[in-house]
Amino acid sequence: MTKRELSSRHWFGKSSAGLVLGLLLAVAMSGLFRKLFGVEEAFFSIKGQLAMWLIAPIWAAVLSFCFLFSSSLRAWIGLAAANAVLWGALWAVGETAR
Amino acid sequence: MKLRTDLVRMYREIHGWVGIVSGLALFIAFYAGAITMFAEPLQRWASPPSRLTPAISLERTPELVEKVLSAHPEAAKAYRINLVIDAAHPARMTWSDGRGREVRSGNAIIHYAAIANDGSLEVVTRGPSPVAQFIDVLHQQVGLPFDHEISMPIMGAIALLYTIAIVSGLVVLLPSLVSDLFALRIGKNLKRMWLDVHNVLGLFSLPFHLVMALTSIVFAFHDEFYDLQGLAFGRVERAARTVAAPGAAERLLPPAEIVAALERQASGFKLRSLDYSRRPDGRTMLRIAGSDERYGMRGPTFGIAEVDPASGKIISRDYLPGHQDGWAATLTSFFALHFGNFGGTPVRWAYFLLGLAGAFLFYTGNLLWIESRRRRERNSTAEQTRSTRILGALTVGVPMGCVAGISVTVAAAKLLGEATTWRIHSEIYYAIFLICVLWALLRGAARSGVDLAIVGALAMLTIPLASLVAGPAWFETADLLAVDGVAMASAAFLLMAARAARRRMTSGPRDSIWAAAASS
Repeated sequence: MTKRELSSRHWFGKSSAGLVLGLLLAVAMSGLFRKLFGVEEAFFSIKGQLAMWLIAPIWAAVLSFCFLFSSSLRAWIGLAAANAVLWGALWAVGETAR
Repeated sequence: MKLRTDLVRMYREIHGWVGIVSGLALFIAFYAGAITMFAEPLQRWASPPSRLTPAISLERTPELVEKVLSAHPEAAKAYRINLVIDAAHPARMTWSDGRGREVRSGNAIIHYAAIANDGSLEVVTRGPSPVAQFIDVLHQQVGLPFDHEISMPIMGAIALLYTIAIVSGLVVLLPSLVSDLFALRIGKNLKRMWLDVHNVLGLFSLPFHLVMALTSIVFAFHDEFYDLQGLAFGRVERAARTVAAPGAAERLLPPAEIVAALERQASGFKLRSLDYSRRPDGRTMLRIAGSDERYGMRGPTFGIAEVDPASGKIISRDYLPGHQDGWAATLTSFFALHFGNFGGTPVRWAYFLLGLAGAFLFYTGNLLWIESRRRRERNSTAEQTRSTRILGALTVGVPMGCVAGISVTVAAAKLLGEATTWRIHSEIYYAIFLICVLWALLRGAARSGVDLAIVGALAMLTIPLASLVAGPAWFETADLLAVDGVAMASAAFLLMAARAARRRMTSGPRDSIWAAAASS
């Protein structure tokens, strides 16, 4: 926890991080779901649709809570790090397109 | 619950801003959405008695199909056999020139076919009223008049703001939850009362609002989500279903036998229509729409079974209510929770009330924003600032314009009869909506609040009036009188609101935007 006071002044930097990196993070989570439950085809299969649905709550949650970062920079760095971990894992298990 | 004060303050400011940006659009979405809960009876209420020859029996339906397909071979691409014949579905067989979305948004011609008494084929293109679908699209597009491709991303952005508003509102409420929850302080301090109303409405309908926000994000962005996934994880073509020996001419089971086969395989699934379409490989696909109130359903009012048209055997149970596996039932629950289609009429009424309460929640949110701006501005100047005045006017004009516009365009369905088109309904709605908004901007929030409440009440009364003019022939069943009943009750409510607004205008605080002086 930081000692710096939270304020809504940094809303643009934080929310843009949440919007962009939050979406990427949500797609990565849907990729984990796909890997975990063996989704092959996204559009017509039920599990594929569930993987797509998963994006909305994760994206919305990141966007709602990204204001808790103490600054815009920390928001971008924190979410970028989370993305790097997840996408790295996805790449390692061979789920990403190649 | 203890939370850091700077955190609560930050979220209070965020709540105010996302609320004020999305509130008016959300009002329209919720008000129109509440009405959409009864889209089916409303469509029967609004549809003229059909002039088609009464539909032939299900047993003789193959004759009709044969006649249509020889006279209109293009219908073979996709046609529907209605199993329930009513004012909204007057013909046994229908087909359309357009595809799904064009049909649903009134941009396609639908053909209604029957067999006349002399045995000849009868086809008309004027049919049931499109007003219920118009309101549904208004709901989906948060009241925006643009094309689907433009409106939906805006709706999605509103839904994201709405989610932030829900989370931030909850954070703000948490510290004082226990002391504030059951307190409704009606009294001198009007702002306190509105805040209590806002809190209690928001908290008790929280699950409903979370469901609506999250499902709407998907409804807005599913194509983009799939595209992103395709980019990230690659696409796999759909595995071809096992295909029976091609080439041989298909022998389709007659509809009556399909119905009997479904009764054996899925009793309790009340069938509504058989949708035949031609697959890319030339074979016929049959999807059967029907409902089962005991379960949630994938469509707004129906679930779907995919059936082998030659044998009547169910091929896919993915969207067949009560016959799904856990995965499909989970997926379906997202849709069902948005559509409120589980549990029949009582749940529909509950959703109707929750939707209206939601619309009211956004209205109270705007009121609170304006009141707190007023407090801040009072310290600097006695006058309301221009932006607060405009916001106040919009807070009156947009909701009342939406209410009045929907009422009149619904009533118009009965006066126009078979001449109604989607376009006319759209023009009537937006004309009245814009007039109300302009009126509010010109007259100010206080005076127009009184005027427009009366206009809204009169607009509501056009609905029973239209029923009187159109006559009893339009009432296929007596329960459709509920439409007129709800309209009259709403008119009474709006007249009461007008009286309250007048009182507020003359005897409320003078520096309020609701006082007559400030708005002149």
